Amino acid sequence: MDDNSSYMEEGLPEGNRGGAVPEGLRSLFDKLFASPKVRKVIIRTSVITGGLLAFLLLAAFVLYIVPGMQEVVSAHRPKLLSDPELKEDKNYKKQISALSGEVQRLSRKYASYTSGQSYIVINTTDNKFFLYRNKKLIRTGLCSSGSYTMLKTEGERKWIFKTPKGKYRIQGKITSPVWRKPDWAFVEEGLPIPSATHPSRYEYGVLGDYALSIGDGYLIHGTLYKRFLGMPVTHGCIRLNDEDLEAIYNTLAVGSKVYIF
Amino acid sequence: MENNIEQAPGKNRQTGPVITAVIITVILIFFTIMSLMAPGKKLKEIRLKFGPEETSENQPDERLYSDSAYMALLKERSFFQARTSMAETDSVYMTLNLSDSTANLEISGVTVHSVKISSFRFSGILKRTDDYAISSMLAQPMNITGDLATIKKEPLMVKMAPKDTSEFKPDVIPDTSNYEPVNYILEMDNGIRIYVYQTTDTLKSNNRRRFYFDLRDRLSTAWQYAKSAAMFKVPEYHPFIKIRLPKADAKIIYRALPRKGQVAVYM
Repeated sequence: MDDNSSYMEEGLPEGNRGGAVPEGLRSLFDKLFASPKVRKVIIRTSVITGGLLAFLLLAAFVLYIVPGMQEVVSAHRPKLLSDPELKEDKNYKKQISALSGEVQRLSRKYASYTSGQSYIVINTTDNKFFLYRNKKLIRTGLCSSGSYTMLKTEGERKWIFKTPKGKYRIQGKITSPVWRKPDWAFVEEGLPIPSATHPSRYEYGVLGDYALSIGDGYLIHGTLYKRFLGMPVTHGCIRLNDEDLEAIYNTLAVGSKVYIF
Repeated sequence: MENNIEQAPGKNRQTGPVITAVIITVILIFFTIMSLMAPGKKLKEIRLKFGPEETSENQPDERLYSDSAYMALLKERSFFQARTSMAETDSVYMTLNLSDSTANLEISGVTVHSVKISSFRFSGILKRTDDYAISSMLAQPMNITGDLATIKKEPLMVKMAPKDTSEFKPDVIPDTSNYEPVNYILEMDNGIRIYVYQTTDTLKSNNRRRFYFDLRDRLSTAWQYAKSAAMFKVPEYHPFIKIRLPKADAKIIYRALPRKGQVAVYM
């Protein structure tokens, strides 16, 4: 017991020796360190904690401090100046004039890409459309786009129902469109695939009053399932409600641009 | 002699950790030195590839490259050049204008989606490299070579076709709840990495997931650095542009950009 007391006192700071540690606490320590098992556990815990702390410090150094230092240690950037003497230089004026002319030319060219004609923008993430005329937004609303479903058969066939992204053009406008069901429409319902001209391929009144083709079989058309507008539920086509479809049909001409993102 | 024999194990016990600590410190110092050399190497590469060409016939006026009016025009021209080049395609591309804090999605020169960048920061190397080299580098659109994200680019759901009508089940209404955190990294062909983080979320779990996402990237970079350092090579430094966007807009941009999409930056 005496040995243990002196062991404790040696580990204490000068000021704490001889009575700074409350008696109760000291006797508790004495009892704890008296047992070699407890002492071993305490030492082991301290080593593990210390090791863990060292590892965390090391990780923080490698993962955060070194990248931070990389940002500090870099080359010196020359300061940008406005030298009045240079501004009078003939060659400088020539260079500035040429550069300025090129910037203006590129700016005009870039502005010309946005057509004054009517066009439609479709956001497939939020399922919203934006109709423009003379570069002004004239109508916006909900639509439905591709569901990102991959339909697979037990054989080799598979279809991915997604709306293509990029720039397209209206290739055709149809009133009272009839849906010619593709193979997947039958496969999806577990029906046998009929011949290409079989009457079961044709379905009337499901595409609304109008349809606008953007190529590769993709259409902008109406829907019977208006409650799904604003959701990705289609097989790749863009569905709209009746009023929006009519407005779009009347605004866009064959050749009008369709931007899908 | 007796004393020596008794002290030997104790000595070993003491010298073991010391030797380990010394080895770790040496490795750490070496790793740090190699890591700190990396930006310098990248800087040299950028200057060599995109800096002003000096030939016996072409002696550029050095004063031009420190003239604010000339450099402003040069930066503007570079941005237009990159955007015009991308507008020639029919694909979706992104433009980042850090001077007015906007990120745009464009298709063939038409801005289809515009978002205000909440905050941004970029590598010291991009801040400190001379403007001419940076402008020249950014005059070409950057091509995305890879990405790492917390959301799927295409949230594909696989559906097996029913064998007959008895197996047919109508489609369920898709789950459009927006609970996933949106953070991603776009890796560019010129070595620049664009980090897009959603603005701070009220959901604590999303902030935690952003921390783990960031940690994963840091670990991967540290691993690459360690591998290069082990082979006594200066590691490849990736200059970065880190932007924060509202969650919905960050998602729109990520989903809209093609896997091998293009980006133009004005800084």
